[in-house]
Amino acid sequence: MDALLIIRQFLSEQYGIAPETITPETPLDKLGIDSLMFFELVFEFEGKLGVRSPKNEEIADLKTIGELIALIDNLRLEKT
Amino acid sequence: MAQCRVAVTGLGLINPFSGDLENFFSRLLNSESAIRLLTLDDPAGSLSLPALQCQGFNPVDLLGKPLSHTMDRFSQLGAAAAFSAWRDAGFSLDNNAERVDYGLSWGTGVGGVTTFEHGYKNLYRSNQRSASPLTVVLAMNNAAAAHIAIKLGLAGSCLTYSVACASSTAAIGEAFHSIRSGRASLMVVGGSEAPLAYGVLRAWEAMRVLAPGDADTAHAACRPFSKDRAGLVLGEGAGAMVIEEWDHAVTRGAHIYAELAGYGTSCDHTHLVRPNTEGEIKAIQQALAVGNLGADGIDYVNAHATATPEGDVAEITALKAVFGDHAATLPVSSTKSMHGHLLGATGVIEAIITVMALHKGAIPPTAHLDTVDPACEGVHHIIGKPLMDKPLRAALSNSFAFGGVNAVLAFRSA
Repeated sequence: MDALLIIRQFLSEQYGIAPETITPETPLDKLGIDSLMFFELVFEFEGKLGVRSPKNEEIADLKTIGELIALIDNLRLEKT
Repeated sequence: MAQCRVAVTGLGLINPFSGDLENFFSRLLNSESAIRLLTLDDPAGSLSLPALQCQGFNPVDLLGKPLSHTMDRFSQLGAAAAFSAWRDAGFSLDNNAERVDYGLSWGTGVGGVTTFEHGYKNLYRSNQRSASPLTVVLAMNNAAAAHIAIKLGLAGSCLTYSVACASSTAAIGEAFHSIRSGRASLMVVGGSEAPLAYGVLRAWEAMRVLAPGDADTAHAACRPFSKDRAGLVLGEGAGAMVIEEWDHAVTRGAHIYAELAGYGTSCDHTHLVRPNTEGEIKAIQQALAVGNLGADGIDYVNAHATATPEGDVAEITALKAVFGDHAATLPVSSTKSMHGHLLGATGVIEAIITVMALHKGAIPPTAHLDTVDPACEGVHHIIGKPLMDKPLRAALSNSFAFGGVNAVLAFRSA
């Protein structure tokens, strides 16, 4: 499953955020994603894609949805 | 130092009848029980027992998706009840300016136990590698209080009391002292409970204190004071009140339901679960003394009576000791026969019923009480229909908890 789709589904179903407002360019803070929501998203990726939990230094500088997707895609490659 | 008077200016609850407070109270006056058979199917087994469920409660409708997603059910029920009481007191839910003299005092027995149970199932049964990142903030016992304080701008004291079945009564009583001593102008008080999880019910079942019943008999499973009483019935729900310093309420033109006049608390210090009449007597006497109320000035007692063999007798014995010659004419009822035992939330639900009884001049009966246990005689049991023969001057609401903690609230008609 596409990482953007997982993000859109999760934020829409759990927080009522309109999926069309979530694009790779969207800053995380613009969507109101605080640390708890971010960790929920990571947890969602672990459950749905079987990727490992990223290390703190891997997520420290993430600013946009696109950067998060890139990280998740790398973790998927690492898995294979 | 002069003590401030305390007014009750807002009431709100989430109850299994699904209706509003007026609807809830009128159903109690009509001896209507909300108890139904609950069946839980779990891979570990199936469980059927009489219980109270707020089936009509829709957290997303009442709280919105983002808020309800970050709450355990006990917080959802609690926040909905608190917001209802807040509006009832004449406040708006939005744009509340921060008030350091406004606070919150909450009660819960088992808090976010459903969240823990869900997490354990995922970890130990499904072998999930990690727990949900929301587990801690969903399950912590002060989560409901924190959510309510954030929404309402309550910047003063925000404390959660966990004293088993007296939790919300203690929360109300301690907040009463905060206002009485001038430390707070207004407090949102109450409690919430969502204990209908498989493991929790199995734990209560193991203590052999739960009333049995099937689909046909569940509604009458809880029979306090009855000769054939067979135990308590657990339920979920929440209640909240807004209480405030009397002049503060008058100045802002608030509607005053009643005066919260007294509070008494004591510890049996004798046994974890066996009630002790002496401890109960101390708490009742203290509530009367703090409220400057005489035994002949009380026109109703909403009893703790859960329908256990020992507890009901101990409470009646305590009432007879405190009220002496007046006991025989003292109106007493246990509304748990209809709304069940909501553990930490039960005290505030019964406090609200007591306030409504004073406000309306109507005492709800104990339902399903066909034959009073001779050991529970000696007070005026309200049976069959409500007592509405005269205006009520003052009333007590009793809570006696596991752990030996006793808490009693005294209300005076406004």
